[in-house]
Amino acid sequence: MPKSYSITLDINRYDPDTRLSWIQTYQVEASGILRFVDVLRRINDEQDPTLAWSSSCEHAQCGSCGIILNGKPLLSCELLVKDAVGQFNTHRFKLRPLTIAPVLRDLVVDLEKAYDRVHKTKPYLIKPVPYQPEGDEYRISPKTLEIYSEATRCINCFCCATACISGYHHFLGPNVTLANMVRLMDPRERAKKERTDILYREDGVYRCHTSKACSFVCPKDIDVSHFLALGKEGRF
Amino acid sequence: MGEALTVDSTLRCDVLIIGAGGAGLRAAAQISEQRPGTKIIALTKVFSPQKSHTTTAQGGMAAVDPKDPVDRSIFHMFDTWKGSDCSADQNVIKKVCEIGWEEVVWLERHGMHFSRTEEGRIAKRPFGGHMLNFGETKALRACYEADRTGKGIMDAVWAESLKYGVKFMGQCIATEILFKEGRCIGAIIFRYPEGRFLAILAKATIIATGGNTKMYLVSSNCRGNTGDGLVLALNAGLPVMDLEAVQFHPTGMVGPGILASEALRGEGAILRNKDEEPFMEHYAPTAKDLAPRDLISRAIIKEIREGRGLFHEGHDAHHVWLDLRHLPKEVHEKKIQEVCSFFKRFVGVDPERDLCPVTPTAHYQMGGIPTNEFGEVQNDTQGIVPGLFACGEVAAASLHGLNRLGTNSLLELITMGRITGERVIEYLKDATDPEEPSPDDHHMVFHQFSTYLHAQGREKYAQIRDKLRDLMMEKVGIFRTENSLLEAIEELRELKERATHIPQGTTSLRANQDLWQVWELNNLITVSMVIAQGALSRKESRGAHFREDYPERRDEFNYHTFAYMPKFGEVTLEKRPVDMSMFEAKGGHYELFDYIKREY
Ligand SMILES: Cc1cc2nc3c(=O)[nH]c(=O)nc-3n(C[C@H](O)[C@H](O)[C@H](O)COP(=O)(O)OP(=O)(O)OC[C@H]3O[C@@H](n4cnc5c(N)ncnc54)[C@H](O)[C@@H]3O)c2cc1C
Ligand code: SF4
Ligand code: SF4
Ligand code: FES
Repeated sequence: MPKSYSITLDINRYDPDTRLSWIQTYQVEASGILRFVDVLRRINDEQDPTLAWSSSCEHAQCGSCGIILNGKPLLSCELLVKDAVGQFNTHRFKLRPLTIAPVLRDLVVDLEKAYDRVHKTKPYLIKPVPYQPEGDEYRISPKTLEIYSEATRCINCFCCATACISGYHHFLGPNVTLANMVRLMDPRERAKKERTDILYREDGVYRCHTSKACSFVCPKDIDVSHFLALGKEGRF
Repeated sequence: MGEALTVDSTLRCDVLIIGAGGAGLRAAAQISEQRPGTKIIALTKVFSPQKSHTTTAQGGMAAVDPKDPVDRSIFHMFDTWKGSDCSADQNVIKKVCEIGWEEVVWLERHGMHFSRTEEGRIAKRPFGGHMLNFGETKALRACYEADRTGKGIMDAVWAESLKYGVKFMGQCIATEILFKEGRCIGAIIFRYPEGRFLAILAKATIIATGGNTKMYLVSSNCRGNTGDGLVLALNAGLPVMDLEAVQFHPTGMVGPGILASEALRGEGAILRNKDEEPFMEHYAPTAKDLAPRDLISRAIIKEIREGRGLFHEGHDAHHVWLDLRHLPKEVHEKKIQEVCSFFKRFVGVDPERDLCPVTPTAHYQMGGIPTNEFGEVQNDTQGIVPGLFACGEVAAASLHGLNRLGTNSLLELITMGRITGERVIEYLKDATDPEEPSPDDHHMVFHQFSTYLHAQGREKYAQIRDKLRDLMMEKVGIFRTENSLLEAIEELRELKERATHIPQGTTSLRANQDLWQVWELNNLITVSMVIAQGALSRKESRGAHFREDYPERRDEFNYHTFAYMPKFGEVTLEKRPVDMSMFEAKGGHYELFDYIKREY
């Protein structure tokens, strides 16, 4: 049988009706191969149905389940208990909601609001190149695609934005800037001027101090700061 | 609490889209582009449309480029017909296959990052059941973006809808559709953050709520795939079609059931039993590991039943192996990067070095809200409901019949999304603004929610959820019998009753996850009942529906099952004929579109 662990979770709670916040401690006996979303579900099932948290795909593809665990923003659906114990070298975990949007209840933050910023960067092709004369797809060589395809893997989980040392008030944030970089590097986008205006605006890429915290926490292993550095250098 | 539940505001729009996934937003984009200025509201349960379940689709989208030197869309039509075990509708097959490539180009033109060939063209890979020359050899037909094709599609339609000013509303559920004199005029919505109800009135409403296989113990679906859209229709007295056709994908990762895409086998991965024997050779000598999903799922269960499977102690589950060790490093790193990382993270095996444990997982609902070939919802086998449309996985036109081929679903979302959008544009031409419903209208959801909020039972949500999942997996799963189905129906009746007594941890309406989940659980039980009843009445085996007591396909069941269930448990069934227009037109190769044998 796989190893079982006795873990202690200190979870930040918030009740929107009374506006009270507190920290609640739960003891859980969990098999090492459970994910943190499974552990939270277990708490709902066995101890406390009121503890709110969020998830959707539960396999690291949608970015709905970010939390801060012992100081590190991560996806609760992909962290296994045994890996957490190994990685953080403890059996006690502090779980807090992400800091980039208002808390709705407990671990659930209003990511819908956080998305307003993603919308600002216009993730679509503002002005696409004209149709191919043959009417089929625009040609892009695998070499060109490879330069930016890593950046297209971003799932907007906002872990990087939570970790970013430049803060969230004066900076659009790493993921939002990354989305702009994708289109700047995309040969099908013609509105480069509008894009560079967004990139270099007051709360744009120059707010980044290249600390690389974003790359360090990104659950999709995207080297976010690399793309931001390209942005600063105007290499796209 | 204690105060009465009410609708406290009303919004108006031209088009309400319930379900902002791939299908819903492809429709939104079509309407926005072709009819600028249309006011569209698109709802989703998750935070943003980008987080809809389409984003998890991995393998690809099928489409035949008309300039392809060897592939032809007639082959694709044939494969879809054969794959459906002769139960898909040929008018829909023809239409969808014909415009598939246009839609791939549309996605590419709207910014999707398809993988490319050396010449810079969209790359294609083989997929199960897709063949050249009417079943001869495997075809390169699945257009893909690495192993995150769904994400590419979702990002493209989401961003395009955003560009045109479609209003997104996240974290909400549509709980009831509204009608006035037979015409659909919108829906009642419940918002999670504030716990409030609002009415959205619309000239046209599209249901595109996606899949529903969360009633199975092992499922590849997201948390919110609870069949809400089907229940909206059933509660309104409308029929649903072919729900007994639930697809089990053969390769779910042991444990949570996360999907290990067919693309892996497309790239050359091989299924092996406990003796490491490549067992698919015995079941499908030609197609082998790329045989259709239902066939492979049954083969895996057979291997396990006959003692050639393995047992995973940690997850307490039987499984077989998927072998990826012989694939080139380049393939691991570039073409199947996400799935390999899932194996590493969730199962703790490295596909480059280790065998990967897999087991069938409930994956896709072929049936759905019946529509005609334009996405208009049917109210019986002849008529349609004015103002109401449906597309995507929740709908059944039906492209898949009782079994779908891999990569045909993404194709369906996008093509049927566009077609439905076009039909909505037509409808809007003379559609009037709906009148305000009366403030005294009593909405079903108020009664439901008050019951849930004040229930005093002892049995917890989790007990009923787990019971449902075990029961459906065991008795209404890959193999079914009359006895297992009758037992399941009895147990579902009981569960439904028990579910009304689940106690709530709080009576607050704000961000009340427990309340929301109990509502979803009720939907799952409702849909399960229809699945079981449909399966009971279909005394044959066809596509994904397999009856051990009737293991052959039978001509007397050459029809679609229409089911109504206005009151829980009281199911009425009707038959909708299968459209055979390609066969009847007597054009080239028409004889292949007859009721043919399905062998691979
Ligand atoms: C893991 C996985 C991999 C797959 N891979 C492939 C593949 O490679 N190729 C292929 O062809 N198919 C694939 N499929 C199938 C395909 O992805 C799905 O059928 C398809 O994405 C469904 O799209 P949709 O637009 O109908 O629904 P979804 O994308 O699920 O969107 C439904 C939307 O409706 C919302 N919603 C639901 N209920 C309500 C409600 N009550 N009120 C308001 N909103 C609501 C949801 O929040 C969501 O926004 C895969 C499926 C899975 C699960
Ligand atoms: S860049 Fe990485 S961490 Fe940041 S939002 Fe995207 S996926 Fe999440
Ligand atoms: S590198 Fe820039 S964007 Fe990334 S965390 Fe540091 S300051 Fe923030
Ligand atoms: S739930 Fe989708 S990323 Fe965690």
